[in-house]
Amino acid sequence: METLIRTEELTKRFPRVVANDAISLDVRYGEIHCLLGENGAGKSTFSECLYGAYQPTAGRIFFMGQQVQISSPADAIALGIGMVHQHFVLVPPLTVIENIIAGTSSLSQLVDYRRAEEEILQLCDQYGVELDLYAKIRQLSVGEQQWVEILKALYVKAKLLILDEPTAVLTPQESDKLFDVLQEMTREGLGILFITHKLKEVMRVSDRVSVLRKGKLVATVDTASTTKEELTKMMVGREIVFNVEKETIPSVEPVLEISDLRAMGDREQEALKGVSLTLHKGEILALAGVAGNGQKELYEVLMGVRSASSGKVLLQGEDITNKPTSYIMSRGVGHIPGDRLNEGLITEFSVAENLILGEQRSKSYSSGPLLDFKKIKEIARSQISKFDIVTPSEDTSSGTLSGGNQQKVILAREFQRCSLCLLANQPTRGLDIGVIEYVHRQLLSKRAEGIGILLASDDLDEILDLADRIVVIYDGRIIGILDASDAKIEEIGLLMAGVEETDP
Amino acid sequence: MIGVDEKVTKLTFKFQRRTEPSRLGQALAVPVALVAALAVSSILIRAAGANVAEALEAMYLGAFGSQNALLETLVQATPLIFTGLAVTVAFRARIWNIGAEGQLVAGAITAYWASVTFSGLPSIALIPTVLFFATVGGALWGIIPGYLKVRFEADEIIVTVLLNYVIQYLLSYLLSGPWRDPNAFFIQTRLLPEAATLPILFSKSRLHLGFVIALTVAFVAYVLLWKTSLGYEIRALGYRPNVARHKGINVAKTIVLVMAISGAIAGLAGGTELFGIHPRLRLDAMHGFGFTGILVALLGRLHPGGVVLAAILFGALVNGSSRMQIVTGVPVALVYAIQSIVILFLMAADGLSRFQLRKR
Repeated sequence: METLIRTEELTKRFPRVVANDAISLDVRYGEIHCLLGENGAGKSTFSECLYGAYQPTAGRIFFMGQQVQISSPADAIALGIGMVHQHFVLVPPLTVIENIIAGTSSLSQLVDYRRAEEEILQLCDQYGVELDLYAKIRQLSVGEQQWVEILKALYVKAKLLILDEPTAVLTPQESDKLFDVLQEMTREGLGILFITHKLKEVMRVSDRVSVLRKGKLVATVDTASTTKEELTKMMVGREIVFNVEKETIPSVEPVLEISDLRAMGDREQEALKGVSLTLHKGEILALAGVAGNGQKELYEVLMGVRSASSGKVLLQGEDITNKPTSYIMSRGVGHIPGDRLNEGLITEFSVAENLILGEQRSKSYSSGPLLDFKKIKEIARSQISKFDIVTPSEDTSSGTLSGGNQQKVILAREFQRCSLCLLANQPTRGLDIGVIEYVHRQLLSKRAEGIGILLASDDLDEILDLADRIVVIYDGRIIGILDASDAKIEEIGLLMAGVEETDP
Repeated sequence: MIGVDEKVTKLTFKFQRRTEPSRLGQALAVPVALVAALAVSSILIRAAGANVAEALEAMYLGAFGSQNALLETLVQATPLIFTGLAVTVAFRARIWNIGAEGQLVAGAITAYWASVTFSGLPSIALIPTVLFFATVGGALWGIIPGYLKVRFEADEIIVTVLLNYVIQYLLSYLLSGPWRDPNAFFIQTRLLPEAATLPILFSKSRLHLGFVIALTVAFVAYVLLWKTSLGYEIRALGYRPNVARHKGINVAKTIVLVMAISGAIAGLAGGTELFGIHPRLRLDAMHGFGFTGILVALLGRLHPGGVVLAAILFGALVNGSSRMQIVTGVPVALVYAIQSIVILFLMAADGLSRFQLRKR
């Protein structure tokens, strides 16, 4: 196969790190090429260089045989490079068709909707995608929005399609469908650069795979001639034991009892439509579901951040429904939020300041109205060493830490706090395999201490590894409860997609 | 085709945001900005037909040229330190209090009321009483938009701006009705009680006790923001309101409290200015201090120390340019223009120190 795009010694330096160090790789026509690596390995930086959002510090890019300089995404699009970002770039109040054709016609032209519609419908037909072109973006599911992003790229006749972690927001079934369509597209000669940190996807979809570690290209190999184990070793630099051992069994004593909980979402729709579940001491109860089915709202109601319209939450028998957040925290509930930066960490604050967030008025950190910084720093230093947080000092602003270390700051704080139960929403999202392993061990040690843990995750392997029981949430309701020891991924996947169990 | 290497003739440099502001850049920002501002101002002075060197000299002498000029600069700075601090406390919590102007007037009104009501007290008791009521008036006028924001999600920018008018008209009513001096042609009160006026710090100057209070409040504001639990919560709310909410900080209570503190400090500006400088309470006596306080706060990078320096700079600009006007006869509009140019350059330099030029 012929080469579509090729980089030669592509290097991108930032003030403190070399994000891409002399990377030479190529994507061929009609190939799905996976870019595999841990977070911070330089995958996104590399793709942003190809897409013109970053300028490489050194090195060259050849596209269709010609050396090119891609100064902006507009250049990239003009060349025929399309990109679907992890966070979609769509305009929610506009329709699908408006989003797809936005920016494609020059100012002097009138928009020819009819022709655009024909072209887009043809693309949809070709790949078996069903979309209402006149629906508003905000009415679409996340999976559908992703199709819009892909159609946007195809509509401007992209020859190279870059997908940055496209399955993070999809159900297993939606992912499968995506993989099928991507493979269909390669038959038309399209080259695809598929960025992921999930080994399973690499094996399922790619022709070749390039592994990045710490900004360097480890190797490019044919997928058919490699194994998951080999790729893991390349990616992490050592072998990882995935299987975890559980030594204790959960108690039968409930710590958190939720009954018929209802709450409104942000857009005045009912987000929780009667959730009931019980969390026992020393149990990890996993909450499986596609993002946006009420997980966020459930955690918020439990933490007292969102008010419940009806229903009850009992913490060790005490009614904590709609109690103030500070009260719920003081009762021994820890919360690892799903969105680190918007819910868990004040990036402008130092590590030490973040470690006491929520306890700034507690006697242990203050005397009268004044904060006791000597003590705060002392405790911060011990937490930093206990949780192995990599930071220059406890005074360093937490925004400069890596994602993994930011998460460790939150873990250190919330683990300290939770004496009864821990509400963990996506505690390993976006973390390196090494850190994920660490978080898993920590969660299990809390479980062994008798803490009840409600764990939401979109990584089904993680759920199957850690959970004692699994509940599946769909459209604001719990539609299935399974025992983790005999649950199957396919079964969970169907429930996540809203297909309810039918008893024979 | 776009982007083919041989044909590139674009600019080869571009601006890039720094991850952290450059130390050198920040240190150089102020002198460079001042030089640039003076250069541009010189063009205007020249165009107005005045001698540039003479004008700039007059400006310097007016601001810092003598002990008296220096003290007068501090007199001008005093109310701006207060309003700058008031804005700083609110902006730190990301509450856009544009109402220091009105809270200052509210403070002046309650202070005046107290001075008349308790006029029998000796100076040593009357002055604290008057200033206490100044903070109460300002705080009340600040609590209103704070409460409306918490209770009805009313936008504090709009509410504070509108309340500025409300209090101005309330003052206008008081001055033309109940509080009007029957013997005066102007709408103004009787002379303020002698016992309530603030002591002067240096004889033959106008610098009054308010300046010392302003510096004290600056120190207290620093301690409040960076050393107390409440200050921690205020800054947390300002940086990440959503995180603050998720971590149990009582956002509603904090907002109302911040607006009360902010209003109280602005009210103190009204009280000290009235009883430090003015013989009577009049309608137009304290115009603009609240709005200028916003600039002072931003120029001072929302830090009490910076606010004090920025307020003194503003005081210097006011005095320096009025002397320049007297000496060279340039029109008063030019004076305002020069003040604005200096501020614009300082702010631009501060912003630019956060960027760097990079080769493509």
